[in-house]
Amino acid sequence: MLDLLVIGAGLAGLTAAYTAAKAGLRVCVIAKGMGTTHWSAGTVDVLGYYPNSSAEPVQRPLENVQTLIEAQPEHPYALLGTAQLSDALKAFAVLTGEISLPYAGAANGGENLLLPSPAGAPRPTFLAPLTQRAGDLSHPDPFLIVGFRGLGDFFPELIAANLCELGYDARAAFLPIDLITDRQDFNTVQLATELENRGRRSRLAAELKRLVQPGERIGLPAILGLDDHLAVLADLQAQVSASVFEIPTLPPSVPGIRLHKALCRRLEELGVRVEAGMEVVGFRSGGQARARFGSPQQVEGFVQSPIPNPKSEIRNPKSLLWVASETTARPLKHHAANFLLATGGILGGGFDSDYTGRVWETIFDLPLTTPQKRSEWFRPKFLDPAGHPVYRGGVRVNKQFQPVKADGAPVYENLWAAGGCLAQADPIHERSLEGIAITTSVAAAQQIVGSGWARGGRGSGSLR
Amino acid sequence: MKRLKTEILVIGGGATGTGIAWDAALRGFRVVLVEKRDLTHGTTGRYHGLLHSGGRYPVKDPDSARECIIENRILRRTHAHCIEDTSGFFVVTPEDADSDYPDRFKAACDEVGIPCREISVAEALRREPLLNPRINRVFEVPDGAADSFLATHATAQAARAAGAQVLTYHEVVDLIVQGGEGDQQVVGAKVLDVASGEDVEVHADLTITAAGAWAGQIAAMAGCEVKMTPGKGAMIAMNHRVCNTVLNRCKMPGDGDIIVPIHTVAVIGTTDEHVDDPENLRIEPWEVQLMLDEGEKMIPGISQARVVRAWAGVRPLYQETEAADTRDVTRSFTLLDHQERDGVAGFLTMTGGKWTTFRMMAAKAVDVACEKLGVQRSCKTASTPVPGVDQGHYWLGHRLHEVEEKRLQGELVCECELVTRAMLENAARQNPTLTLDDLRRDVRLGMGPCQGGFCTYRAVGILHEMAEGGDWRLENGERRMENGGWRVESNLHPPFSNPNLLLRDFLQERWKGLTPILWGRQLKQERLDELIYLSLMNVDHLPGAELSSPLSDFYLFDTTPGEETEASDA
Repeated sequence: MLDLLVIGAGLAGLTAAYTAAKAGLRVCVIAKGMGTTHWSAGTVDVLGYYPNSSAEPVQRPLENVQTLIEAQPEHPYALLGTAQLSDALKAFAVLTGEISLPYAGAANGGENLLLPSPAGAPRPTFLAPLTQRAGDLSHPDPFLIVGFRGLGDFFPELIAANLCELGYDARAAFLPIDLITDRQDFNTVQLATELENRGRRSRLAAELKRLVQPGERIGLPAILGLDDHLAVLADLQAQVSASVFEIPTLPPSVPGIRLHKALCRRLEELGVRVEAGMEVVGFRSGGQARARFGSPQQVEGFVQSPIPNPKSEIRNPKSLLWVASETTARPLKHHAANFLLATGGILGGGFDSDYTGRVWETIFDLPLTTPQKRSEWFRPKFLDPAGHPVYRGGVRVNKQFQPVKADGAPVYENLWAAGGCLAQADPIHERSLEGIAITTSVAAAQQIVGSGWARGGRGSGSLR
Repeated sequence: MKRLKTEILVIGGGATGTGIAWDAALRGFRVVLVEKRDLTHGTTGRYHGLLHSGGRYPVKDPDSARECIIENRILRRTHAHCIEDTSGFFVVTPEDADSDYPDRFKAACDEVGIPCREISVAEALRREPLLNPRINRVFEVPDGAADSFLATHATAQAARAAGAQVLTYHEVVDLIVQGGEGDQQVVGAKVLDVASGEDVEVHADLTITAAGAWAGQIAAMAGCEVKMTPGKGAMIAMNHRVCNTVLNRCKMPGDGDIIVPIHTVAVIGTTDEHVDDPENLRIEPWEVQLMLDEGEKMIPGISQARVVRAWAGVRPLYQETEAADTRDVTRSFTLLDHQERDGVAGFLTMTGGKWTTFRMMAAKAVDVACEKLGVQRSCKTASTPVPGVDQGHYWLGHRLHEVEEKRLQGELVCECELVTRAMLENAARQNPTLTLDDLRRDVRLGMGPCQGGFCTYRAVGILHEMAEGGDWRLENGERRMENGGWRVESNLHPPFSNPNLLLRDFLQERWKGLTPILWGRQLKQERLDELIYLSLMNVDHLPGAELSSPLSDFYLFDTTPGEETEASDA
């Protein structure tokens, strides 16, 4: 019998699972896919622009979060407050140390880093992995951005040109791709694997040493190894005698994949299984089993089925007994004392929508704040600084991170939510994607640990 | 000011104008064509892509149907590679079962000369498994799918090869009219070179307008009234080819009664709404709903499939007398001789018609031009293939075959539409380009499911790398990029060649066609595009935010869904 079943294996789900497991709970993660970490830059953005229309990046995000909370009391950050937010980020930084993927912030603690984006714009971010840190634009060292002829997802001249236009000192150069790979069809993940080969790396290092001028730092596409990336980076820097850093690329994102894999490995060490390919297809609360909301096919035995075993009947219909997931053979029931929804919003797949303007949460059909009218979803400009209202909607939760109904009462007493599914934020426009994922999932997990529903609490005995 | 002298000036770079330039050049005339934006920017680039067999019109408009089948046969030879030989079905759905239309349709096809064969429902279902199994009867006609972008470019290429000058981004600001009351003559046009801002005067013995729905605006510059009845037609593209045969409802033409498989998508069309302004391309929620609901009658379940894009074109409908409904205006074409009609010599307007009949319209226009210019030269277009026909008819696997044969997988810029780097570079070198949208029309960049999510960045990066003088030099111990490297090369015009402007314009251009149909999985896809361009790239904080191109405002046209309303006549 599990203490906590986490649904969703993105940054929020994995961080929540870690937090709960460290506190001694028996945890399992099930997910349809891998989460959106594989698409992201692999950094931790906490708050990049505030107010949204600001042309200048936020310098000290924690201070601006305080202002944001005052202005937007329903924002997910307002559920935590800045002290808890700061603690959660510190805890995450400690975790990244444990998994040999150390993240750190600006040397001047509390400030945002500014790192070159793959288009050559400065990206404000709060924590970055070691491999990206040397790109910090607050240092005056000139940039040498190096791309590879044949790698279509990275454009060093564009990056250098934009950096120059912004007043940074930058130039670009190209190397042939066959230094790294003999394949004709490749992506950044395959290139990263190739560079774990010492011979390949030395050939690249020799060419970089030839190109670089004294004082320059070298920006490369984020392909410097997968699992072994710290060794790859150290080795390159030693051979080239210059500092080297990565610029994230179009998806698939090597930095994102590293983070996902390292977190999964750590969870396994803690005895937490992370099961991908297990899409939730149904659940049971109280006396009734239900199919996943909006599922096209009715799942056999779940819809209006009688209680399978009267002995296991739970008298309280306000709690969840199990969710069932799809596997290769048959739906599998996952019994747990607590359930955490970390399936994300529209991007993560936690919400779906149709042409009538309906937007719904795909598993439990939780109430959403999203406007249920297409005429209220979008603004005419794609890059409107205010973002598009459809993405701001989500699951409304109480201070304990329990999804609530319109009257403020929890939908189920043992259901919690964190991450991209939470209402009243547009993490992509705010540049708060990972910040919200990490801090709300740490806080939700702590709430679960502290609640009477955790291990040994109410409702645990009779569920088998 | 630049001055050009020519025999024939053609206004409009759609299928008809380009066809006129091609025809006239083949007959030995000196020709200049001016188009205010890119080739096919108007209605030619905004229709569903049907090569008509004539099957849509034999009952109501037999003359138009006759023109269609004649031209259908000719274009299959002259523009073979622009056409996919899909064939077409006219299906009788349960809703239309009680009508006598099917029998009248069959008889009218026979009368007009459209090859029409009734096939069994079983055979139709075998060929199109997603077709509604409850249909009653099926007729097969030689419909096809036409790539109007490629066809117009090929026609323009043929026209250029025959000596015509094709000037895109040259907007007519006024016609040059000489003479007094009753003895007026158009002797050319004042044109603005939109890219350079330069004024150009084109002097011509004869001016022919082929400006489609905009023909009234041009005619007014010579004081002639041409009352167009622009009929807006909205279309939606489904993510998959849900059928491989053109599907039509066997009834009087109406809204949402056709599905055209074209390239990788299937297009449901259309609505028909009178609009006052041909630039009004708004698509209302009821139009989208109607097309999905109607599409459902031929392919049950289609409304649950993913929609990638919506757009609207404006039919250049023309009728001397008022018609109550735009569907009742003839789909045939009209040549207006303004000398006879308005006493203004040297000026013709060719309007109405449809893509399928563009070559015939061009031939008619140039026949009259010959009369006007006092020469006798016969039309050659029906027997002169345009460049590229040796490839044979288009087939769906065409690009994939080439990518696999030449092992170009690593060269792909746009995976959805299989656009390679070389294709993009060639198009940018050969065609005047102000925006990435121009390259989209050339090579289908960004037209697939991700709607520019991955290829916008790549295309901008490539164009920037093509920049001339993109060198970084060491001067006074400082490494700085030369100014020249900031711009994008070749046929791109500064200041519009700023890569950040190209990027922003194209993202906005794609957004414009997405908002009417954004829900479900396409909404999720669009959110990924936001993740890429905002979270990862931070493109809204790139330098050059103040720059705009001549098309920036056009892309800003608000297409977000309005409040639910009913059709104006429903």
